[in-house]
Amino acid sequence: MRKGELWAEVAFNSRDPVYLQVVRLFKERIATGDLQPGQVIPSRREIAAALKINPNTAQKAYKEMEEQRLIVTEGNSPSRITRDSEIFRSIRSELIGGAVEAFLESVRSIDVPLDELLELVRRKYAEVKANKQSGQGGEGHD
Amino acid sequence: MNRYFKLVHLEVYRFRYILFGLMAVTAIVQIAALLWVSRNEVAQIQAEGVAANVNRVLFPDEKLSFAWAIFSTQRWFALPILLSIATLGLYVFLIWYRDWLGRDTFIYRLLTLPTARRNIFLSKLTAILLFVFGLISFQLALLPIERILFNMAVAPDLREPSPFTDAILASQVFKRLLPLDRTQFLVSYGFGIIAVLAVFAAILLERSYRRTGILYGFVYLAACAVAVLYPLYALGLNQADAYLYPEEVIAIELAVCLVVAAASIWLSWRLLAKKITV
Amino acid sequence: MIEVANLRKRYRRRNVLNGVSFAVEKGQIACLIGLNGAGKSTVLKAIMGLTPVQEGTIRIDGRPVGKETYEKVSYIPDRLTVPPYMKLWEGLRFMQDFYRSWNPERARELMAFFGLDAQERVGNLSKGTAAKFNLVLGLAPDSDYVLMDEPFSGIDLFSRENLAGIFSSGLIGSRGVLLTTHEVDEIERLIDKAILLRGGTVVRSFDCERVRDEEGKSVVDVMREVLLA
Repeated sequence: MRKGELWAEVAFNSRDPVYLQVVRLFKERIATGDLQPGQVIPSRREIAAALKINPNTAQKAYKEMEEQRLIVTEGNSPSRITRDSEIFRSIRSELIGGAVEAFLESVRSIDVPLDELLELVRRKYAEVKANKQSGQGGEGHD
Repeated sequence: MNRYFKLVHLEVYRFRYILFGLMAVTAIVQIAALLWVSRNEVAQIQAEGVAANVNRVLFPDEKLSFAWAIFSTQRWFALPILLSIATLGLYVFLIWYRDWLGRDTFIYRLLTLPTARRNIFLSKLTAILLFVFGLISFQLALLPIERILFNMAVAPDLREPSPFTDAILASQVFKRLLPLDRTQFLVSYGFGIIAVLAVFAAILLERSYRRTGILYGFVYLAACAVAVLYPLYALGLNQADAYLYPEEVIAIELAVCLVVAAASIWLSWRLLAKKITV
Repeated sequence: MIEVANLRKRYRRRNVLNGVSFAVEKGQIACLIGLNGAGKSTVLKAIMGLTPVQEGTIRIDGRPVGKETYEKVSYIPDRLTVPPYMKLWEGLRFMQDFYRSWNPERARELMAFFGLDAQERVGNLSKGTAAKFNLVLGLAPDSDYVLMDEPFSGIDLFSRENLAGIFSSGLIGSRGVLLTTHEVDEIERLIDKAILLRGGTVVRSFDCERVRDEEGKSVVDVMREVLLA
């Protein structure tokens, strides 16, 4: 059920460190609400098997997430998503900031006035939202 | 030790169909020839009152005996025996090459078993010896059965009893295959074992050095042959004008044989441990 | 740790190995990458003592290769290693007979993982199924290291993905793995360390994540740079 589809069909690129891509994946899942505060996450071995990555890489990713206080591991109990709302906010702003930067990077060369750009964004955003509400199937994620 | 026995079992198991096949062919050909010749002769005697095909010099009583039957059928008896010898001779090579050739690259496994590699060598050698002595034992066990069948085929008044030794001496092949003299037995099979050891070493030379190894193999075999034959011919055994006494020549020959056997074993083990290539 | 130092091998007047050195630690997945004829398989064979080398040393946890190390290191070559007349279950029993490290429980697990039928005859296996059976034979023992020679060759795409799964599964566990391949794509994200081999020499050996981190390059990128230069 939920657990299976959450980690299935993840395509990693081969030029960025895989462990950072795993960290990013967790951040995205947290931002979308797929991962809830305090939720138990798979063990390192389980996530390695699910994502078809090297267990050492999973280990490294979890260590990185622990350092960024994204997840917490207490003693022998399984790791959980943090309950720290501060972290959640920063993940959110980090992802949005990153996306906007990437977007600006790609439109910069086209030399479009800001007003026109914002209007376009507003219209597209509404369209996508409407689509999403009408047909739940459209994933619209690229 | 335990793994050595397992390897021997494996080698015997892999050859079992051929071994049983050779035994079956031997039994069928020999029994058929024996019955055919005996019955023909009995029919002949009944029709004409004389035994036409009984050699009067060898069998002066002109009665049929088991020795006579063996004598008269020796060509047929020799056929399956020669077939067995040829098969085993070929298998001395195949027992190694079958592990390398074709789809069966079992040698990868054999060489990486957690056991000393000399056990692979010893198991293959043991297997060959088991096949040889297995077939000989089979022949020995077959003879009494053949005598019973002969006795059933020939009426008592037409035959006379004969000991097994006469039967064995009546056949050229049996005389060589089953020497009644213990020394002769040891000499024949001793030379046989030395030959197998030398051939094993030559095969392993080829398997280690491949193309150049073929040359090494032949050179090694030639050297062994010269070493073994030299004392017998050059030093003169049973020659009146020989420099050495026959006992001395035999002692030298024995020493040479032991050296050749030991050298072959040592070389084979060394090649298996250090030089073999899959 | 498997330590290979300065391996040199000449065969038919050609330097097959020309001073190869590298190390693989336990728990690490290392990959020997090179074009055909680069000497990858020869290195694995040399580690298993299946081909002589003129120079160099090979140590496994500090000890030279010998009958004890065959319990510690399992080798999965690209060909059949049990006689074709055997049924698969006979092959497994043969392994159990000879290896103290054989783990029948894991063997059963692996047979199920690959969907193999124990009643099938080894000689009748297709190339891909034979490769899977080889993996069963190599992964079932409780060995510390696994050497795999081209584990993906001759296997269809669907099974390949399945196969790649074993590297991230518990079937490998904390063992050290050294595999060879000339197609890196499938396993690029699975390996810790890449050892690039060309003309019998290690031209580059690197930690894959570090190269992605520091140079932003994939293993394939580096391979193209180094091997096709």
